[in-house]
Amino acid sequence: MKLELGNFYVKDIVFGDETSYSNGVLTVNKEEALDVVKEDEHITEADLFIVKPGHNVRLVPVKEAIEPRTRVEGGPVFPGVTGDLMQSGNGRTLALKDCSVLVVGKHWGGFQDGLIDMSGEGAKYTYYSQLKNIVLVADTDEEFEKREQQKKNRALRWAGMRLAEYIGSCVKDLEPEKVETFELEPVTKRSKEENDLPSVVLVLQPQSQMEELGYNDLIYGWDTNRMLPTFMHPNEVLDGAIISGSFMPCSSKWATYDFQNFPVIRKLYEEHGKTLNFLGIIMSNLNVALEQKERAALFVAQMAKSLGADSAIVAEEGYGNPDADFIACIAALEDAGVKTIGLTNECTGRDGKSQPLVTLDPKADAIVSCGDVSQLIELPPMETVLGELESLGRDGLSGGWEGDEILGPSVREDGSIIMENNSMFCGDQVVGWSPKTMKEF
Amino acid sequence: MKKAILYINQFFGQIGGEEKADIAPEIREGLVGPAMELQKRLGEDVEVTHTVICGDNYMGSNTDGAIETILGYLEDKDFDIFFAGPAFRAGRYGSACGHIGKAVKEKFDVPVISSMNEENPGVEMFHEHIYIFKGGASAAAMRKDIKKMANFGKKILNGEVLLSAEEEGYYGRGIRRQVWLEPPVTAADRVIDMLLKKVRGEKFQTELPIPEQDMVPIAEPIKDLSKANIAIVTSGGIVPVDNPDRIQSASATRWGKYNISGLDRLESGVYKTIHAGFDPAAANADPNVIVPLDVMRAYEKEGKIGKVHDYFYSTVGTGTTQGEAARMGKEIVEHLKETNVDGVILVST
Amino acid sequence: MVKEIERAGIPIVQMANLIPVAKTVGSNKMVPTISIPYPLGDPSTSKEEQWKLRYHRVGVALDALTMDVKEQTVFKVKI
Repeated sequence: MKLELGNFYVKDIVFGDETSYSNGVLTVNKEEALDVVKEDEHITEADLFIVKPGHNVRLVPVKEAIEPRTRVEGGPVFPGVTGDLMQSGNGRTLALKDCSVLVVGKHWGGFQDGLIDMSGEGAKYTYYSQLKNIVLVADTDEEFEKREQQKKNRALRWAGMRLAEYIGSCVKDLEPEKVETFELEPVTKRSKEENDLPSVVLVLQPQSQMEELGYNDLIYGWDTNRMLPTFMHPNEVLDGAIISGSFMPCSSKWATYDFQNFPVIRKLYEEHGKTLNFLGIIMSNLNVALEQKERAALFVAQMAKSLGADSAIVAEEGYGNPDADFIACIAALEDAGVKTIGLTNECTGRDGKSQPLVTLDPKADAIVSCGDVSQLIELPPMETVLGELESLGRDGLSGGWEGDEILGPSVREDGSIIMENNSMFCGDQVVGWSPKTMKEF
Repeated sequence: MKKAILYINQFFGQIGGEEKADIAPEIREGLVGPAMELQKRLGEDVEVTHTVICGDNYMGSNTDGAIETILGYLEDKDFDIFFAGPAFRAGRYGSACGHIGKAVKEKFDVPVISSMNEENPGVEMFHEHIYIFKGGASAAAMRKDIKKMANFGKKILNGEVLLSAEEEGYYGRGIRRQVWLEPPVTAADRVIDMLLKKVRGEKFQTELPIPEQDMVPIAEPIKDLSKANIAIVTSGGIVPVDNPDRIQSASATRWGKYNISGLDRLESGVYKTIHAGFDPAAANADPNVIVPLDVMRAYEKEGKIGKVHDYFYSTVGTGTTQGEAARMGKEIVEHLKETNVDGVILVST
Repeated sequence: MVKEIERAGIPIVQMANLIPVAKTVGSNKMVPTISIPYPLGDPSTSKEEQWKLRYHRVGVALDALTMDVKEQTVFKVKI
């Protein structure tokens, strides 16, 4: 499988007459873009904003982030989701780098939604403050979930994907500034040099816990709750085969943008043929019942063993009971003789003294830790808020609250806020960006 | 000018050795023994105003009384930081520093800094409560140990950024927090680095050391179930639909107790779950799948159990800290004891 | 929470789906349940089946309260 990612490095974004890209400047025809958003009649209100690093802007409730892309040979950016099924991970895909489409609820948020500050102290808590963002702020008529804590956010998330495809399509006929090639020989057809290196599989545990459809990550449009661990090519993940869901507390969540750019996958590609033999990805899952967790771990360990993996990296999209899937999977791999590294975040509580993961096992002796969902964060008011600040406290965001005996409300009258890291938009960056670790004090 | 107070034992207080180890606590204005070195190291911006001295055996055998007396001495003193020791490898002294340090921290909420050798039993007992720096084995390390305590004290008083336990040199207090690596190294780079070391059989350092398990002795079993009063407790967030105790749906700090005497089962529409960590549909449709009152009543009728306790207790488990869970547990225990509960079935989700 | 109750000398049995979690937090007596959202009754089965399962597992838990065990124990269930 050979994927060419053709990159255009966006230095500025402006609104203008024609959606186009030239010399680092991305121009967006707002009206046309909003027409694409409103193709879904469930979108009742929509507006677009351009938000760049350093702007005094706070975004909340943020639901999704997507990198604008297009396929040179045609076809949907997200097969099985925004169009027909096709194999992703082959051919040439063009990407507008250093920018993302962010989807923000105009009013209503939920457990899984997050917050982004584009400047000030709060900016360091999320990756997306470093990007130039086209921000869709919209509302929908999905009355059934308006006041539900768990929201599918279907209309908004799909609007974001359509918008990202629409914007991405403006570079379709242009020559990219840089082409990155991602290619792995089939597992049994590798060179002696590659085969002599320690082999590694990447085990991903995307969010799949909701038994009702519509909340989980989708792989080629298929709900991950309905799948068992399977073997995938890393190119498929980098090229739109998987989209983010709408369930997991936000700092633990992996946005679609995170999947499209997955730093650990990129790093494994860099090391492939030099220090490691990157076999591919075992796409596992997260479950709600012990038997399901154990079954998934059995599948993963067997696949790793059959592939001849000397080592594995296991990464979980979540915390709390997903830790049980995470630890079970690591233990099963270690039992199978596969040297395993875990990649996760922790929840140590307000006092920092709680057990960092809900299950632990001495076999999990090598873990990279990316952050603490329970860290309290206090931030001053921000000049502009896109979305609705009240949602942080009112709508049951995982890191916000209406009132607290000691801390007061999350959202204060002057617009300053206090929250848990839990609601920082994709803040723990377990996909590999995280510059954070955990230390004992 | 910031103010500090130092606690030392009778030996370093220059009262005497083993023969004076049972002297009662006293407080002196100004500097006694190691306080002079501490003052020197703290410099001009911090004044050590008092030295508290107590015999090690006195503290050991009259701990509560000694603490009470010393807290009494401190009541009207104005101080910003409290030091104790250094205690080196002296076990009784280390434990005394820990006892008084913990009490001062709890009562006055000021930083407390001590120093002990790793073999001092005071480390194991008190490292979670106060800052204990890694100290030398004997008084030969006095200057070095005091310097560490003083430097860290100044750092706190100046509001400087405090590094991790390992970087600062004290025994970890069991508090884990996120930090930004300086210089930045991404998780992707760290994971590959750790992986290569692990596959090559080289030494590597996990970022999440697995702590040892803390077990509780198993309670005496119920002798006669047919006379027992059994309570149901749940972390599944089942509450009356109006959630009268406003229990949070995640990271809960509140719990509720709900009277179920006279009820045969929990009806849908009257009770629901407010837990945010799972799909609530099934529990809302039939709350008995989490609080199994219906079958408990059946066992009560059959005589298998004496009685279903008049209340069930509920909170939400997701994201709740162990500290909060333990506090709520203790509060629930009080009620269980008052109402003569003999056994508990805890249903978690 | 389990530990606080047990520490007070009151026998306690934890009914949980995630037995590894219950073990890690230090539960001494455990009875498995069928899932996280519906520990004691699968909504896709009939009311009678749910009752039978719940009756059985709670019964096992009640018996567990009378058992003298020396270490962490997961009690077996039949349905």
